[in-house]
Amino acid sequence: MVTAQDLTGYQPTWCSGCGNWSIGRAIINSLVEQKLDPSSLVVLFDIGCSGNMNDFVNAYAMHTLHGRSIANAVGVKLANHQLPVLVVAGDGAIYGEGGNHFLHACRGNHDITVLVHDNSVYGLTTGQVSPRAQKGHKSKSTPTGIIETPVYPLPLAITQGATFVAQAFAGNLPELSKLITAGMKHTGFSMINILQPCVTFNKINTFQYYLKHQYQLDSSHDPADYQQALEVANKPKEEKFPIGIIYQVDKPSYHEQIPALNQPLINQPHRENLVNLLTQFQ
Amino acid sequence: MTNQATLPFLWKIGAPAGQGVMVTSLAMSKIATRSGLDIFDYSEYPSLIQGGHNTVEVLINLDQPTASKQLIDCLVCLDEKTFLHHQHRFHKDTLVVFDPKQFEPKTKSTKIALPLQEILVDLKADRIMLNMIALGASVALLDGEIKLVHQMITDQFGKKSAAVANKNIECAQAGFDYVWQQYQELVKPVLSRGKKPVPTLSSPVMTGNEVFSFSAAAADCRFFAAYPMTPASSILGSLAGWQSQTGMVVRHAEDEIGVINEALGASFSGARAAVATSGGGFALMVESISYAGIAELPIVVFLSQRPGPATGMPTWTEQGDLLFACHAGHGEFPKIVLAPGDHKEMLDLTLKAFDLADQYQTPVIVMSDKFLSESHRSVDYLTIKKASQMKIDRGKTITSTNQKPYLRYTNTSDGISPRLIPGQPGIFYQANSYEHFADSHTTEDAAARIVQVDKRTKKQTTYLKKDFHLPQVIGDLEQAKIVFVSWGGNKGPIEAARNLLAAKKINSAFLHFTHVFPLDEQKIRPLFKADKQYLLVENNATGQFGQLLRQQTGVTIEEKILKYDGRPFYPEEIAAAVTTIVKNTKHLK
Repeated sequence: MVTAQDLTGYQPTWCSGCGNWSIGRAIINSLVEQKLDPSSLVVLFDIGCSGNMNDFVNAYAMHTLHGRSIANAVGVKLANHQLPVLVVAGDGAIYGEGGNHFLHACRGNHDITVLVHDNSVYGLTTGQVSPRAQKGHKSKSTPTGIIETPVYPLPLAITQGATFVAQAFAGNLPELSKLITAGMKHTGFSMINILQPCVTFNKINTFQYYLKHQYQLDSSHDPADYQQALEVANKPKEEKFPIGIIYQVDKPSYHEQIPALNQPLINQPHRENLVNLLTQFQ
Repeated sequence: MTNQATLPFLWKIGAPAGQGVMVTSLAMSKIATRSGLDIFDYSEYPSLIQGGHNTVEVLINLDQPTASKQLIDCLVCLDEKTFLHHQHRFHKDTLVVFDPKQFEPKTKSTKIALPLQEILVDLKADRIMLNMIALGASVALLDGEIKLVHQMITDQFGKKSAAVANKNIECAQAGFDYVWQQYQELVKPVLSRGKKPVPTLSSPVMTGNEVFSFSAAAADCRFFAAYPMTPASSILGSLAGWQSQTGMVVRHAEDEIGVINEALGASFSGARAAVATSGGGFALMVESISYAGIAELPIVVFLSQRPGPATGMPTWTEQGDLLFACHAGHGEFPKIVLAPGDHKEMLDLTLKAFDLADQYQTPVIVMSDKFLSESHRSVDYLTIKKASQMKIDRGKTITSTNQKPYLRYTNTSDGISPRLIPGQPGIFYQANSYEHFADSHTTEDAAARIVQVDKRTKKQTTYLKKDFHLPQVIGDLEQAKIVFVSWGGNKGPIEAARNLLAAKKINSAFLHFTHVFPLDEQKIRPLFKADKQYLLVENNATGQFGQLLRQQTGVTIEEKILKYDGRPFYPEEIAAAVTTIVKNTKHLK
């Protein structure tokens, strides 16, 4: 029996009202529901306010360098694919610093679940814009407003090969827990973009803003329909944020396509008869 | 046949890129080895697939040649450029093979007119098979057996198509017959001088990269990731090709940052992991080297140098990244840098690198350069077989613990904490990139910081005590007046230079460093004595090992032989530099 207490570490240091509180709670609820205790999964915590969850959620974990959590996760999974792998990171890490890893992990359909805390700012470095900031967003690094348009992660993930793409709102804990569980149960690359108000540094994309602009996907949406999914995934460009599973298809994940991985890499015997490799050189 | 004894013999071939000189020269190297001889070969080519000029030289000798030589004994010119670029390296008996339809070499050396085009037309063969005619002719000139050429071609093409193999054999045979018909009197007894009988399991002809790849597999490396970069690229190809036999997971990741972080993830999960790159790719990995340092993750990094800065000269050689490698990574943490000097050392030190990475839970860098990475040598079969059966030692890597709570970074007398492979029920911990307490939780506490810094630093002290090796002393250090100091692939050319000097009655010794960082001051200083002339030999412009030696041990070497034109040392260059120094230095005369 796994309890929330087993999974709960230190008292978090997040600002009061920060979306991370409910995301942290949703992760623990989902793990309890999946009966995953701290010894039965690996969590990759990136750098940022979200990544600081490393000391608040108990698990075998890597607290990685900024932006590299997905790359670490790929290696963790390939070396021991029996353990579920969860990435906890911010929008700066996944869509900015680690954007390349994100694109290519989608392509590889690596069996990992990536939770992206999307608050449009860099909270830990005191509020500069993230790649998700709306055009014109003024911040310390963009005093006259950001010139670039935002990264739109949902269509990006779908078109690059992710097989589970969802969006959640940090303010709706039960739905978020449900989506995390669905993502972790999915075999293949799953990502959940979590709309998260930053109460300290983002006065635009507030709790109220997200409440006003989001809508729940209902049964009329077919996540297996690529065209429909893309259409829905593009809605944020009109400031409409779909909540729920946007896209989900079954495709073999990366490790399932490596013949040698019929058992976890770390459990395989040391192969000793390698001298046969030498004949090609003779 | 001439009866001159001409070993060591240097055969060289040059052609426009895309003409298959790499295939031809590797065939020559293997034919020599199968004839009971040993080889050393080295290729030069620009960073182009077509339109450039490629050359390979193969030095053939009785016992393990360690380097090439300047004077060419046989030059096969598949174009005029080959002749023009190499005529300064001829002696009077150099055999110059050319096609009179292409050009007429102006030389006093021995000309061998080989009608390549005519033979090609007669046999209705593809243009690409020119090189096989040249190979057949070369084997004839070196008094080799044509059946070895046939075998080689069958091995190479037989699986793909018998028709292609047969056409290649026809071409080789035609070149071979032509020489015996027209130039019988010029045939040199080279390949016929091999040791007899030739062992059935002849020496594998391998590049430094291939030895590293084999050795990594033998060391039970289970996860390898890379992004192609000359001169390290071929490792990715070798290991990817062997996956079904080795069971290794080989990843061609999106970039070098992805490469090393995937490897660190696999390492955290408990798999032995390695990456391979050159300077530019290594630069991208550096932040993550530092992560491995603080999180105490084992990782083996193969760094094959080429001339920088930036893109530099991608397909040429240099030792310009030593200080960069030793000092790679922000912050202070232990790191081990090993530098094999030849293929045998590549075998041993690669095996050792994986053990050390596990034992010290820190990055271990294996340094190479294009010269060592891409030159072939005949590697003794039994030596490599024996090395591949060595037991591995993972140090304090554990799969279960009774310690509750488990303290991943517990302080110990040697600085090394037992590292649990994730998965044991009832336990959890993190590989933390932040400073941490013994239990792996993040901290900014001053006292805890000092404990962890000291703990990590102790690993270096332990390494120096237990696993650091002094340089190999080659020659008699007591007797010698001249002492070479060097590292890495210069070993072979210096060994050959010592022989040239010995012939001139100049007695030299050689301190060959393989465990290049960190260095042990107390153990090293006694090797440097006041009454000797020490000469630093490095393939770079600033004498980086000399700087490192001074930094780590206080030893200063004034006299330097440095080369940084993208080319490796020739033994003759080193010998000539020494002769000049001896002439100009009173007490050495």
